[in-house]
Amino acid sequence: MAEYRTHMKIIGDILSTTRDDLQDEDGATVTYLIRKANISHSRISRILKTLVSQGLLEQVETQGSNKYKISQTGREFLQAYYKFTSFADNFGLSI
Amino acid sequence: MEFLLENILNLIGFLVGLGIGIMSLIGFRNTGSPTLFRLTIAFFSISLGFFVIWSGYMAEDFVIQSGNIERWVQTLGIAIQTVGYFFIAFSHSIKAFFPKSSYFRSVGILPLFLVSSVQLEHLFRSVSFILLVYGAIETMLSYIDNKNKGAISVSIGLALLALGEFLGWYSFVFPESILYSISMVIKIGGLIALFIPVSKVPLTKIKFDEGLE
Repeated sequence: MAEYRTHMKIIGDILSTTRDDLQDEDGATVTYLIRKANISHSRISRILKTLVSQGLLEQVETQGSNKYKISQTGREFLQAYYKFTSFADNFGLSI
Repeated sequence: MEFLLENILNLIGFLVGLGIGIMSLIGFRNTGSPTLFRLTIAFFSISLGFFVIWSGYMAEDFVIQSGNIERWVQTLGIAIQTVGYFFIAFSHSIKAFFPKSSYFRSVGILPLFLVSSVQLEHLFRSVSFILLVYGAIETMLSYIDNKNKGAISVSIGLALLALGEFLGWYSFVFPESILYSISMVIKIGGLIALFIPVSKVPLTKIKFDEGLE
């Protein structure tokens, strides 16, 4: 059975991709993130917009396309996300 | 003896609830997760409930000195704790052990109405018992899914709290027996089991970030 992912889990997947699994130094393209995070284009566009506005991701324009890199705030958020995922796991919950 | 146990239980309950509540709050402030928000409400309520009862005992011991805690204080404390247990149960989506038929669902909540005519305190204890059993089962089911060992401890903790709540409620039938003291010892054990895995979560380098929502 397919596992249901919470909104927070999808954000965690996107941020961890931009931190650990980048295509190149400039960042990850939307297409790459769609494939890695397994999410639709319309949904990821909204999430990326929010993450950039919150300062968790940096948007870089290279050769006419947008690429995304994790920011320092994003790294701190991801660290907190992992710690509190383990905290919530103890209660059998997903954050 | 009963007075001492009651004080130890309420103090431990207050501290454990406060500790887990603060951790949940830090988590909520850092991630904005609704699950952590529900846990924050749950554990602050549990902490406040224990604190209210502890305050009642302290007031009785040092100020009123009537020999018995004011009944309404105990009822209020238990009611606040029940709110906390509700939020723990509510954090789990209703996915197991709930029959699909509306007839069976209505039969499932019948025990609540069977005890509601006795006293408010009995009602809150029975509701707490049901919520705690539900939370314990759901947590144990999640262990089967993800094999997180901490979930076993939390599940046992919730189950012990449920058993303690049940014995506390049942002790009304045998008021002079040792049942109430046993229920308090079991609940202390439950609170400790609840805190063990949570205390192992490393919280170093976590800071509040006002910019995150």
